[in-house]
Amino acid sequence: MVSIKTSYTKMKELLGKDVTIEELDDLLAFAKSEIDDYVEEEDMLVIDIKTSIRPDLWCPEGMVREIKGILEQEAGIPEYEVKKSNYKVIVDPKLATSRPYIACAIAKNLNLTDYSIKQLMQHSEKIDNSYGRKRKRSSIGMYNLSMIESPIEYKVIDKSHKFVPLEHEEEMDLPTILEKHEKGHEFGDIVKGYGHYPLLLSANGTTLSLPPVINSDDVGRITEDTKEFLIEVTGTNYETVNVVLNILCQNMVDYGSDIYSVEIIYPPEIRKENEVTPLLKKETIIVDLDKINRDLGVNLTPDEVIAALRKRRFECKATGKSELEVEIPPYRKDILHWVDIVEEVAIALDYNKIGATKWEVITTGGLLPETESENKVRSILVGSGGIEIFSNILTEPEILTTNVNLTKVDLVKLQNPVSSTYSVLRDRLFPLLINVLSKNTHETYPQLIFEVGEVVKILGKRVLTQTHASFGFAGAEASFEDVHKRLHMMLDLLDTEYKIEPISHPTFTEGRSGKIIIAEKTCGIIGEIHPSVLELNQIWVPVVVFEIQLPSIPTLNCKKKFTD
Amino acid sequence: MSDLEDKVALPPEAIKLYKRISSLKEISMKELEKEMQLDRGKMEYLLSFLISNALVERTTTVNQKYILTDAGKQAAEKGLIERLIVTALLNKQSLNFSELAKILECNKQEMNAGIGYLKKLGLLQIIQGKLSLLDEKIEINEAMQEVLKELSKGNEVDITQHQKELIQRNLAFVEEIKDSILKIIIPYSKSKSMITESIDKSRLTPAMIRNGSWKTTKLRSYNLDGDPPKYYPGRKQPYAQFLDEVKQKLAALGFQEMRGPIVELEYWNFDALFQAQDHPAREWSDVYRVANPKLGKLPKEKHVKLVQKSHEDGYDTGSKGWRYKWSPEKSARLVLRAHGTSVSARTLVGLTVPSKYFSISRCFRPDTVDATHLSEFNQAEGIVADPSITFRDLLGILETFALDVAETDKFLFKPDYYPFTEPSVELSVRDPKLGNIEFGGAGIFRPEVVRPFDIEVPVIAWGLGIDRLFMVKNGITDIRELFSHKMEWLRSAKMS
Repeated sequence: MVSIKTSYTKMKELLGKDVTIEELDDLLAFAKSEIDDYVEEEDMLVIDIKTSIRPDLWCPEGMVREIKGILEQEAGIPEYEVKKSNYKVIVDPKLATSRPYIACAIAKNLNLTDYSIKQLMQHSEKIDNSYGRKRKRSSIGMYNLSMIESPIEYKVIDKSHKFVPLEHEEEMDLPTILEKHEKGHEFGDIVKGYGHYPLLLSANGTTLSLPPVINSDDVGRITEDTKEFLIEVTGTNYETVNVVLNILCQNMVDYGSDIYSVEIIYPPEIRKENEVTPLLKKETIIVDLDKINRDLGVNLTPDEVIAALRKRRFECKATGKSELEVEIPPYRKDILHWVDIVEEVAIALDYNKIGATKWEVITTGGLLPETESENKVRSILVGSGGIEIFSNILTEPEILTTNVNLTKVDLVKLQNPVSSTYSVLRDRLFPLLINVLSKNTHETYPQLIFEVGEVVKILGKRVLTQTHASFGFAGAEASFEDVHKRLHMMLDLLDTEYKIEPISHPTFTEGRSGKIIIAEKTCGIIGEIHPSVLELNQIWVPVVVFEIQLPSIPTLNCKKKFTD
Repeated sequence: MSDLEDKVALPPEAIKLYKRISSLKEISMKELEKEMQLDRGKMEYLLSFLISNALVERTTTVNQKYILTDAGKQAAEKGLIERLIVTALLNKQSLNFSELAKILECNKQEMNAGIGYLKKLGLLQIIQGKLSLLDEKIEINEAMQEVLKELSKGNEVDITQHQKELIQRNLAFVEEIKDSILKIIIPYSKSKSMITESIDKSRLTPAMIRNGSWKTTKLRSYNLDGDPPKYYPGRKQPYAQFLDEVKQKLAALGFQEMRGPIVELEYWNFDALFQAQDHPAREWSDVYRVANPKLGKLPKEKHVKLVQKSHEDGYDTGSKGWRYKWSPEKSARLVLRAHGTSVSARTLVGLTVPSKYFSISRCFRPDTVDATHLSEFNQAEGIVADPSITFRDLLGILETFALDVAETDKFLFKPDYYPFTEPSVELSVRDPKLGNIEFGGAGIFRPEVVRPFDIEVPVIAWGLGIDRLFMVKNGITDIRELFSHKMEWLRSAKMS
């Protein structure tokens, strides 16, 4: 999901009609977008765009393009003329191993306001960040054309090369920029991975930028006075680089600008032929009318499909009895398969008007035996007076270790926890019961609590998920017997024989705790919590707990679930 | 204060309790419990005589206590971040961001918060990425530091000025401490003459029944007006109970339950669902990665090769695919299940047709926990596979969920995007108070998803945000309450 900020007033201007926030939200649905927030005092809309593969929609112009199609104010692919410029970019063969592709265009007769510059920058940033994979796959640069002379060189340069990066006053060499500049911090790793420095250089010796890190402070600064722009996209993916340029050109046209092409001189190591960008040749895809009708459950004629697709800004013509050829706008590269066209037809028909059917797929439903088994145990424990608790599977290591007097526990840990409170997966439940008891010492006793839930364990090199049940009894009168009799009755009701053997365990009092054994296998623990653990958790009444692995109870139907 | 009009018979222990409360005039339940060495149950029993006869009254008090969070404890010990920044800058005059971060040994977010704070006060300037002080004022936010120090020692301290900041900066949280206060209404000295010691004839004993003495004994009438002592029966957790009900409903609609592991291969979480390996949703910020072990084993079946082909060139689907070199290593990385669709993906292996499946599974995302986000949540997910099924049927299925699960006829469909379905739909429910609430999403699995598993028929994938549904139904606004460990809520939350 991508989120942008824009002006409500400007949005209405673009649409060419007055709409309420609610009406606008309904229209934005056709551009897979919705209003997340509206700050009336600032005239500001926060709009979420749900699709991550349509960067053309991440700006008001792109959304309005879609909406105008739906409202039948415009149809088909927007066309504009591209004039030839004399500008050339010469690409260095050394870039073949690092960041080989570039696409450029020139926009003239632009009248940008401070607001539209900010909007343009917001759009570029969103594209660089998400579609451009944080500038790794592609990044955008915009420059003041009047300071640039052709041919522009896109080349590998020595690290001693110096220029003044944006927002700074002094010249710096390239390693210094990566070290010192804010953007160098953020994106410097990309360049470091290349093993050399890519640079865009004007014929007059002026540096345009160090892609994908930072523009220079003069040529690369865009203001309201800039009337002619050079737009450039570099990257590692040929298709991405070109579609991003196409999106920007379409936007510039929507701002009222004229677009001029730039010739890219590629060395044979990168591409066999030179190119003139933007590349606006339209891709086509063949779709079968019968398949569209079958998938959607409708009965459309070829003309209806053509009209629907034109509403969605495609061009379309019948090429056979039930065959249609669809032309894709050059600012879209998300059409991978004809099912993508099926969705476009459905959107044009309007999901809320197409008609939901009384569907019928007759199958027998049911709960898994695991769930039924867990429910049996839960109902026995509720009958034993237990209050069920629901705790996090992702938890704090201390709760599972030091809080219950354990040190070496083999827990599944996360590489990227947001906080240590949620950084390991629970491997057992009773420490969480202790934690719950420690938070409720002001409530009346006795407190009888239980949880039946999944835990995660490491077994050799494998990881498994299984369900445990744990029951705890806290109160002035709590005794081993209180909990033992409940465990005993639970297993008796489940028709399972067990025995308890004494155990020495740091959480429990010696001589008052044991391991639960079923069919010669240890599968649980029961015992009185050691006073030192109670003291540590500030629980001032005795506590007795048991915990048992449900897959070990043969009459139940619980299984260990391995990840692989 | 009135005197007793009628004679009152009390058990001897109740009289003892009455005398004690009378002599103290007022005492908290907790203190009395300690002093009399009575357990709560017995105490409640005895008090019921005193309260029902209007000798003693009981009021409940709630005290708020501020408890430091880990961040708060750290700030108490090492100092508030803004103070640390000032100290660092006083020592070094000017620093860039990374130098400062190194000195402070804290995360970027925290540091930025501190910088923002100082900028707001106009004490800090940033020129060309260098931070320096505008004013050599040393003691910043001193009062707050003092409050933290006192709180960390467990001392009482006046925090009225700081409550908001403590909570907003996540330095402390509020714990409510409840207690009951017992107050004397009629002192024992005034009612003494009217009180008699009852020989507990409230009890019908087995002996009385056997020997027939019940015929000549008058059993004392109970006071039926008063509340009985508190009693908490065992019960299911309210949210777990709701999940049980959703499961029952889905089973009744003919859906078969499925399950999967919590620690999941990226293969099932992403690759099998046609999510490209450089897709932003696969980054650190969007999915939890497991540190030990880092890698699992990919399944041995042929579908792994076909999933690879699907990504690289679209396999036999006619799709362009994502056109990159697919890496089995990335696919074998272990993550915490980020969406229930991974369980659906596993079910695609050997899928029978027709079939309908569902799962309710715990899913994990690296979100900072607050009123609207949890690090883990529950998702209802599932699939429907049938040769006849169409997009309009999919809308019909969502309609059924709105009517039968969300129990509303006010809903709306919107176009949506998932990497694994096309077409994709969002189901929104219109709530009179909250507006449109996204309740579910669905779509038809892309051919690139199902073909590697040799499936020829359309498969619908759907998901429902049941956490949100439970919250709306129960008027809960803070999602953390779903996992609440407050005994009072667990014991007394109404069954809806």
